[in-house]
Amino acid sequence: MRFYLLVFLLAAALFVQATLLNLLSVWGVKPDLVIIIVTFNAFLRGSREGALVGFLGGLFKDLAVGGYIGMNALSAMAAGYLIGLTESKLYKDSVLIVFFLVWLSSFTSQFLNYILLTTVDVYISPGVALFNVIIPTATYTALLTPLFYRRFYRSNQRGLLYTEKI
Amino acid sequence: MGMLVIFMLTLMNYTKFDRAGVSPMESSLRDLFAPVQGLAMNLGHRLRELVSFPFTLARAADENQLMKKKISELEGRLREYEELRSENERLKKLLDFKTGVAPVMGYDLTAAAVIARDPGNWFGLITLNKGSREGLQPNMVVLNSQGLVGRITSVTPQTAEVLLITDPRSGVAALIQESRAPGLVEGVASSPGRMKMVRIPIGTDFSGGQVVVTSGFGSLYPKGIPIGRILDGDREPSGLFSSAVIIPFVDFNRLEEVMVITGTRTSQAAARVTELPYPWGEGKTDLMGRSPGAIRAGEGNGVVRR
Repeated sequence: MRFYLLVFLLAAALFVQATLLNLLSVWGVKPDLVIIIVTFNAFLRGSREGALVGFLGGLFKDLAVGGYIGMNALSAMAAGYLIGLTESKLYKDSVLIVFFLVWLSSFTSQFLNYILLTTVDVYISPGVALFNVIIPTATYTALLTPLFYRRFYRSNQRGLLYTEKI
Repeated sequence: MGMLVIFMLTLMNYTKFDRAGVSPMESSLRDLFAPVQGLAMNLGHRLRELVSFPFTLARAADENQLMKKKISELEGRLREYEELRSENERLKKLLDFKTGVAPVMGYDLTAAAVIARDPGNWFGLITLNKGSREGLQPNMVVLNSQGLVGRITSVTPQTAEVLLITDPRSGVAALIQESRAPGLVEGVASSPGRMKMVRIPIGTDFSGGQVVVTSGFGSLYPKGIPIGRILDGDREPSGLFSSAVIIPFVDFNRLEEVMVITGTRTSQAAARVTELPYPWGEGKTDLMGRSPGAIRAGEGNGVVRR
């Protein structure tokens, strides 16, 4: 049940991101809802599950784009794994902590995307990548954390997302 | 008694509705009683309000509910109307373009709607609601009434993926309309409102506001499609070429309907190209209503780079 719900959430996030969120883009940047779910899940469930859900979310994104399949899967998996390492070390009730984790996770995945793009001969100047894409995306994404974290956390503690393992 | 009846009948006849005027006595009486009548009427209204207040209050709650429902219904209709109005405006522009500009330029067009965008921030890709079933093929050029949008990169039977000219992987052979200086227009990651024109030969005069159009070199994009206008320029780091920042004519953040060039033919009205609205021609006519560029041809000033 938990697995199917997470898959549904990732698919819904991706759908919203590809359609409605274009209306809310700021300076051409829209938030990354998939990485928000990946980060929440990794923070609450640890590295193993963080990496797995990150991989799934990234793969969905790759399939939606239809090119460079594997790029987002790898970057989101790495971000999920990294955030999962903090699972037992940080206080889970603080939205502020999660805000920084989402920022870090989004930054990491976007930065890895940038590195991976160079391996497929897409060269973007580091300044443009950092200041036009990576930092704005991470910041915009992190700003949405307070809207969703409490619900996700509650559901993880005693709601539909509450089960032992995927 | 008889006299009274006769008097009253006479008076009645005298004061009938369609007579020319009123008698002095009537006039005096009417003027005298007018303020008192007004006061009495006012008092009467207040009294009626006071008496009926509890009943009105009871009815007001129901009326309030009804009003709120009606307001929300009307607001919904208004939003729907606004949406239809803006869609109508957009479609009218497309139709004007199809009947006005396209025949002159010799384009066969297919209209399509944008149904999705790249969920990430690195690239500029959109998905159209038409595909190979409607005759769309990879490398077909996509535009709208404002100018060049991009080209189709892949198709399925029902959809087509379009690489926008703002995508960093896109390169369009272009030239500055006025000086005919060639260059290459490239997209910038996550900047739908800015592009770069590179490889402009050193020594070319260009200034802010000048129009950049497709050059037709390389045969992918037909010649003469407006791309954008120059904002400013600089020398490239190599020192061998100049580059310019271009503001696209197309508003890529609000792209909802586009047209795909499915075929080109020799234009029967090529001589009329200059009569096309800005930025397609020299703006002698106003086929499409408002021009997409804020700066009209010839308004650019201040040479940026030699």
